[in-house]
Amino acid sequence: MKKIMVLIVDDERAARNEIRRLLANYPDFEIAGEAANADDALKIINDQIPDLLFLDIQMPEKSGFDLLESLEKAPPVIFTTAYDQYAVKAFEVSALDYLVKPIRDERFEKAIAQSRQRLGKTDPAGQIFVKDRQQYHFIQWSSVHLIESMDNYARIFLGDKTVFLKSSLNQLEDKLTSNIFFRINRAQIVNRQYIQTITTVDGRLKITLSTGAQLEVSERQSGKFRQWIASK
Amino acid sequence: MKQQVTISLYWKCQLIGWSVAALYWGYTGYNQPGFNWGLSILQFTTDVAVYITITHLYHRFAVKLGWQNLGLNKLLPRLVPAVVLLGLVYLFVTVSKVYLFRVWFKPGFSEAFGDFFDFYRDSIFVAGVRLMSIWLLAYHMYHYSKREISIARENARLAVITRDAQLNSLSAQLNPHFLFNSLNNIKALVIDDPKSARRAIDLLADLLRNSLYSGDKQMISIKEELELVKDYLELEKLRLEERLQYHIEAGDEYHSMLIPRLCIQTLVENAIKHGISQQKQGGLIRVQLINDHDNLIVSVSNPGRLNPTDDSSGLGLKNLTERLRLQYKDFAHFTISETNGIVTATIKIPVS
Repeated sequence: MKKIMVLIVDDERAARNEIRRLLANYPDFEIAGEAANADDALKIINDQIPDLLFLDIQMPEKSGFDLLESLEKAPPVIFTTAYDQYAVKAFEVSALDYLVKPIRDERFEKAIAQSRQRLGKTDPAGQIFVKDRQQYHFIQWSSVHLIESMDNYARIFLGDKTVFLKSSLNQLEDKLTSNIFFRINRAQIVNRQYIQTITTVDGRLKITLSTGAQLEVSERQSGKFRQWIASK
Repeated sequence: MKQQVTISLYWKCQLIGWSVAALYWGYTGYNQPGFNWGLSILQFTTDVAVYITITHLYHRFAVKLGWQNLGLNKLLPRLVPAVVLLGLVYLFVTVSKVYLFRVWFKPGFSEAFGDFFDFYRDSIFVAGVRLMSIWLLAYHMYHYSKREISIARENARLAVITRDAQLNSLSAQLNPHFLFNSLNNIKALVIDDPKSARRAIDLLADLLRNSLYSGDKQMISIKEELELVKDYLELEKLRLEERLQYHIEAGDEYHSMLIPRLCIQTLVENAIKHGISQQKQGGLIRVQLINDHDNLIVSVSNPGRLNPTDDSSGLGLKNLTERLRLQYKDFAHFTISETNGIVTATIKIPVS
């Protein structure tokens, strides 16, 4: 069985050791690494793509939230903090779990059980952590039907909401799962699951999404698009 | 637009008090033969005007010399001659007025002023002393009680502020974040370094004891304060490890001097919270006590940036400023500044 790779991020060595010790009781979890700050953590995440993050919120220079915001694809997260958990929940973060330090064994076991259950079912397209009107959210990429470029930002459409992300479409295109998302033109990336109809008008490919949006595939991308749609 | 005219309590009392007195005199006249309405009204208005003028002059005088703020033992020796003097003024003014009224309005009145004065001197002087005593008593009683009330109110305010400061210092030291981080650290140390774990428990116990049991002690000696600061730093060093370095420079000469409790600790805590723990590499906290022309200067410096928009540090420092002001009026100062990435917080306390 494939082990769940864990990254521990906390600025205090003792706190990292604690998580290490607690995890030692669960052989299906393996520690991929540990980091003492957000920058070190970012390198490891990009390098090893861990399955789960134990993340401290208060860290020097960049907080745990800052770290997550800088990721195009955020791994599932269990927050660890010395603050009151209600203070953390005030951020409206939809994390896998919140653990308050010091962490009790039985509480940790619950978090592990929850991780086992949820990690098996997580969306292969992954999730992203965004700040929208002072509130933090994890957004599942599979629920995003369209991404548009707007200057230095990417505008993400999901349901009837839009969220802005400080990221270019090129960056996103690299990170997103290619069998779900496709760059149809310079300014738009579309989610396959939301494509309702594809029509050819005057030799150009037009897409209608289930949301009703009308999109056009650029000539350059038309060939690749046909292949992609056929591939599945 | 109609302008609202407000009459101060002082003027209300003056007008009402003297009007009542003048009405009483008018009433005694009314019961005597030869009562004249016109003359009585004239008497009434001149009485009120003249006695308000006299007492108002006293009021101006008392305000100028600050008699309203004197204690009872200092006020009494001043009031005795004041009553006599006011009684004399009352005597001359009253006799002169009555004499003039007689001359002007009483047909056939031809008594010499000297005789007239001698005749009325004693009774009017006694009446004057009595009236002025009542007036002075009422006047100073009012100011005295007003001052007492404001002192009581100020004391209550001080009590609230000190209690807040205590609560704050309590929550500052037992700052939940600090407390739980320390406990988590100790939990790890129990396995990683049992000797340090034992030390950490001792330090935390002393800090807790200090917070919980010396709440009503406002001033402590520099020696005690520095011991507390050392404990705090040592405990934080066990947690932050090589990220925290500290250096305390303090001569023995001030060890017995009293300072507001936790005033250095607040600065150190601030230096860790907003300085060291915001730096990946951490840095050095330098605590310095220097003597400068009858002032004690306590400075705490740390690497970091001064962020004026960050108001999370505001409460502890604001409280400290307020406590210094309460303790030393304007003779103590608190400043915080940044030069080349080093933030220095300084308090200057007069050596009494």
